[in-house]
Amino acid sequence: MPVIEVKHTARIEGHAGIWVEVERNRVKNVKVTVPEGPRLFETLVIDKTPEEAANIVPRICAICSVSHKLAAIHGLERALDIQVPPATRALRTLMHYGEMVESNSLHVYLLALPDFLGYPNAVAMTDKYADHVLRGLRLKKFGNRIMEITSARYTHGENPTVGGFHRWPDRKELLEIKAEAQRLLPDGEEAVELMRSLHYPTSMEDGMVFMCLKPPTETYGFMGESVLISTGEERPIDEYLEMTNEKVVDHSTAKRCLYNGRPFVVGPLARMNLLGERLHGKASEAFKRCYSLTWVRNPLYASQARAIEILFCLEAIPALVDKLLATPAAKTKEPARKSGAAVGAVEAPRGTLYHYYEVTRGKVSGANLIIPTTQNFSAMERHVRVAADTLLKADTKDDIKLVFEMILRAYDPCVSCSAHLVEIG
Amino acid sequence: MSGKPRAGFYNFSGCSGCLLTILNCEDNILDIFGAAQVTSFLMANRGNIDDRWHGADRKAGKEANLDVAFIDGSVTTREQEAFLKEIRERSGLVVALGICSCYGGVQAMETGRGSFARRYQKVYGATPPAIVEAFESKPLDAFVKVDHYLPGCPIDGKQFLHAYARIVRGLPPELPKTPVCTECKWRENECLLLKNELCLGPVTAAGCNARCPSNNTGCVGCFGPADERNLGSEVSLLKTRKFNLETIERKLRIFGGARFSESFKKLLRK
Repeated sequence: MPVIEVKHTARIEGHAGIWVEVERNRVKNVKVTVPEGPRLFETLVIDKTPEEAANIVPRICAICSVSHKLAAIHGLERALDIQVPPATRALRTLMHYGEMVESNSLHVYLLALPDFLGYPNAVAMTDKYADHVLRGLRLKKFGNRIMEITSARYTHGENPTVGGFHRWPDRKELLEIKAEAQRLLPDGEEAVELMRSLHYPTSMEDGMVFMCLKPPTETYGFMGESVLISTGEERPIDEYLEMTNEKVVDHSTAKRCLYNGRPFVVGPLARMNLLGERLHGKASEAFKRCYSLTWVRNPLYASQARAIEILFCLEAIPALVDKLLATPAAKTKEPARKSGAAVGAVEAPRGTLYHYYEVTRGKVSGANLIIPTTQNFSAMERHVRVAADTLLKADTKDDIKLVFEMILRAYDPCVSCSAHLVEIG
Repeated sequence: MSGKPRAGFYNFSGCSGCLLTILNCEDNILDIFGAAQVTSFLMANRGNIDDRWHGADRKAGKEANLDVAFIDGSVTTREQEAFLKEIRERSGLVVALGICSCYGGVQAMETGRGSFARRYQKVYGATPPAIVEAFESKPLDAFVKVDHYLPGCPIDGKQFLHAYARIVRGLPPELPKTPVCTECKWRENECLLLKNELCLGPVTAAGCNARCPSNNTGCVGCFGPADERNLGSEVSLLKTRKFNLETIERKLRIFGGARFSESFKKLLRK
């Protein structure tokens, strides 16, 4: 039986292949294969202190290390009944915006854009599109700089901790962040216009179910304690198991998730579909210019959604910095109890990330980490199937493998992330 | 090496943070890609000569030969082991990037305790995915000769740039042999051990510019063991600060894995 195979999807984090089995010009079977080596993180945090666990888990994935740190801290603080003051939450939000700007601009300019402009990589694009590449690098560097100031390093910074921060950034550093956000605002607008100007293939279009965290106030954002679902439901994060339903499959060291037996989508496209109306200012204008009903069917528009999120962060940062400058540094809060269990959640750049912890007498005794890319795999397989069916039927000259790869890349998968999750009783 | 050296960048089991650190050198990324002929960098490039686990495209022939292979991540499957050996055969130099490839990484913290099969089953159940044959995380030099080691979790961007500039010119990298304490003193930080905080700075390789102590928190040891370390002295010191052996070993194992646990065992025998 003929097989269309992409051995290794390029320009994603980690290793994933695409395997499409065809019978008489019809798709028989689709697999997104993941041969990542397992690292068993859920077992590594056992018998560690909450602080040590929060140091270990960001190593699941470099590209969303801040989100892993925040999800761990959120889960552990809920488990140990630690209430942090608004200043701590504001500094965490700033750090999180840093990761969003970095990860989204890495994806938009270095990982996604070469497909649309017909290049193998972003460095090669400098022959004709040096402006785009340099703009992407400027934005990316700024995101990294925010993380360096707030978390102590671009990747795997140890400054944020359970209960707060070890070191509070000084006034000069905060003002640097504010000034740079203002300076780069036109770059954010350019990013949106660039992504809006591209031609998006349509062969994979199919209705999607979306999920994302609901911010507690009526704003756009990346944190919350309940999940909005495009079916009209809203469920507390404590019901994360019923919303994800992980199962082991043979062709992948990453598991698969379904909601009510159907694939679902988390990430920037889900956030824009569910929360886009909450945007303000230039981000809101950009959203209104870009958004159409295609956004509920075509996963490739996630790249536009990422660009709008960059703009949202650049616009939100100055006010957030002002808020931080107006409040004194917050002290690290101690746990109210030594034992407890709870789930924490944040929106990682690529979607909702859940970290569940059980703590017994000051040591972690159980953990379950559910990663956005894992939640998206079933939808990726679904869209690859639809694209393959459409393109085979049309007997197209299009580069069918490139379309498959573009579908996977649109989810900006973090494959090493996805390969390490489980329940421990 | 005549002309531009041929370089390949690969990742095995890890978080890709060391390759990301290279992409995070925003001011130098064009120079990095300009200084060598990069034939493989799956995370950043489509159409690499060797996109496949099972080695270079045979048709590629000489095209697949490398002057230097940079490898991020540890080895945790038979498939990776075979690919690593194949890369070694066609590479002049192999450079380990980060503590996963140097020492096994955080995923090797349980090394030597014989718990892998039990932990693997706990994560994947009785019927694990057939796609790989997995084992306890091992560093690259458990299987092949490694020419240079750049530690860190992740590697430090500046240290990488300095080392890369030398390696692509056929020179060995110059890495600090001293522990984090040296850099911490240069930054004029107050010693956290004097404040009874558990800090692994005295035994951990320098290279990060003492980031954690400069942020009021003890070094977690993410650059792995320093060449010039005195583990015995560190352990005695920590014991006088009321930290027990179990706590000290646990902290050392998180990033030092097997490396530290061996030294630790020797220490306990003394």
